[in-house]
Amino acid sequence: MIALVAKRLAAAVVIVVALSVVMFILRRLSPVDPAHAMLGPTASPAAIAHEEHVLGLDRPLPAQLGSYLNGLLHGNLGMSYRTRRPVSTDLGAFVPATAELSLYGLAFALILAVILAVGSTLRWPGATVFRVLLMAGASAPAFLLAIAGILVFYAKLGWLPATGRTSYANPPAGPTGLLTVDGLLHGEPAVTLDALRHLVLPALAIAVAPAVSIGRVLRSSLLAGMRSDYVRTARAKGLSERTVVFRHVLRNCLSAALSMTGLQVGLMFSGVLVIEEIFAWPGVGEYMAQSIPAADFPAISGVTLLLGIGYVAVNTVVDVLQAVADPRVNA
Amino acid sequence: MAVAEPYTPQGPAARRRWRPGATRPGQARSQARSRGRAGGRARKRDIAAASLLALSTLIAVLAPVLAPYSTIQPVGMPQLPPGSGGFLLGTDAIGRDVLSRVLIGWQSSWFAALAVIASGLIVGGLIGLAAGTAGGATDTILMRITDGFLALPAPVLAIAVVAALGPGFVHTLIAVAIVWWPFYARIVRGEIRSLAARPHVEAARLAGAGRFRIAVRHLLPGAVPAAVVTASLDVGNLVLTLAALSFLGLGQPQPAAELGADTARNLPYLLQEWWIPVMPGLAVMVMALAANLAGDGIRNLLGDR
Repeated sequence: MIALVAKRLAAAVVIVVALSVVMFILRRLSPVDPAHAMLGPTASPAAIAHEEHVLGLDRPLPAQLGSYLNGLLHGNLGMSYRTRRPVSTDLGAFVPATAELSLYGLAFALILAVILAVGSTLRWPGATVFRVLLMAGASAPAFLLAIAGILVFYAKLGWLPATGRTSYANPPAGPTGLLTVDGLLHGEPAVTLDALRHLVLPALAIAVAPAVSIGRVLRSSLLAGMRSDYVRTARAKGLSERTVVFRHVLRNCLSAALSMTGLQVGLMFSGVLVIEEIFAWPGVGEYMAQSIPAADFPAISGVTLLLGIGYVAVNTVVDVLQAVADPRVNA
Repeated sequence: MAVAEPYTPQGPAARRRWRPGATRPGQARSQARSRGRAGGRARKRDIAAASLLALSTLIAVLAPVLAPYSTIQPVGMPQLPPGSGGFLLGTDAIGRDVLSRVLIGWQSSWFAALAVIASGLIVGGLIGLAAGTAGGATDTILMRITDGFLALPAPVLAIAVVAALGPGFVHTLIAVAIVWWPFYARIVRGEIRSLAARPHVEAARLAGAGRFRIAVRHLLPGAVPAAVVTASLDVGNLVLTLAALSFLGLGQPQPAAELGADTARNLPYLLQEWWIPVMPGLAVMVMALAANLAGDGIRNLLGDR
């Protein structure tokens, strides 16, 4: 098990380094000249040359790559052309909102996936409805779900808020940055409740597409699993149906659904970027959306690196979980 | 479609009995029976679903003819609700026909998705073919690069590539194409590897066929069905990804009609004139649904993979 974890971690590190190198190359390819972007169009040639020297742009490429990677290692993502602050400082302010949204989105996706999978597998009149839901959910763009949710639950019914993370002007600034957790830690459950109400629509909007994909995989492996010979053996030796399903079938079926979950996190991240714009969610997606028109490549590559690292981390955890659920994966 | 063998207690079906994943004898028999009665209907349904691909292409090709009005010029009162004043989907904030904009947006989205799929198939197919036939170090290096791409979130990476190239529709297509081939490379390489072990390839080799001839004549055709099925199931995903990028402003600039961007730009009208942002988004959903249904149909027709 330790060997497996070490192997997966090493692979993750290699991928992240490769991603950083790609970001470095993209930055070089970008038509925006960093020195000009920092100083503005009216800067004198001498000032440009000086800035290029300060930024290290007059050094050979391998040396620049070296100092870039070294900077990343120390959390230095460069300066944003737009905000004139270090990208890492900017990101620090935006990450908690995105982390909270993604965590709740993932939780909703997993719950929905199990409901969809079981609902469409069981033999009952509603199974067809669930199958139609699976097909429709796989085809609905996240932004359409979001605006439909706003129209129904905000405009029509008035049950849920449509913008932002919280109604409080100064929510408790807590250790985690997650409002739902910090509210509880500061003994203010009203803040947590309010944050949850703000989370429902955006988290559901990013959860549907991954839920459908995970649900489909879970459904097909459940169908195959229940027909397998080991289920007959387990039933024949007198195990209860619950033990059969939870100890035998589900454990065997989890592997495929888990790796699908890992893959879907990537899709969810692109959903997060879109959804944050719709709900004015103060996360990295908003930051990215503002950086794109400004051609602020350091900011964009910072967000990309962050989401890439998040994706690699989730998939590394998934790999290890798979090995825990199914020791045969241990190869 | 494969015909199930009749069940005989001592026949091959009985010997297959305990192999995991194989259909059990009774099951095979009942499937064969139901196929006899309802198989034709299921096949017709699959063909109908697959033809949605052609229908969607037809809408895209005929969009300029089908669109009743200009997409750029205001043609009526602003903010007319759907159905009023002869505007089936209403008019937008400055009086442009929403239906015309949706149709032209359909054209660009659909062709963009097909173009990226085609490039993914060609690039991924060639890399998969090269890796699968060459083997050894070439295979290892190519597949490590492929895995590296697969280990990263493709849509996010595409955004970074567009940002580096500079926003623009063509740049977006190039960026998505750059991140969209690895999956096909994996599929084709896997098919090639399993085909390479088959007797007909050995026979071709003994007959003196060169490596290139074996690759192109004896290996590549066998990998086509799997690649086509994967591609047809992928069109819907690509439609959604491209719509999301367009929503984020990485598509064509104003005033071009584009489904994702039309939703994003008209969000301020959502609460009063809901149809202006909703209709283009709904069109994306219809397009993705058509692509997904067609993909399922093609998978059923070409064999369950």
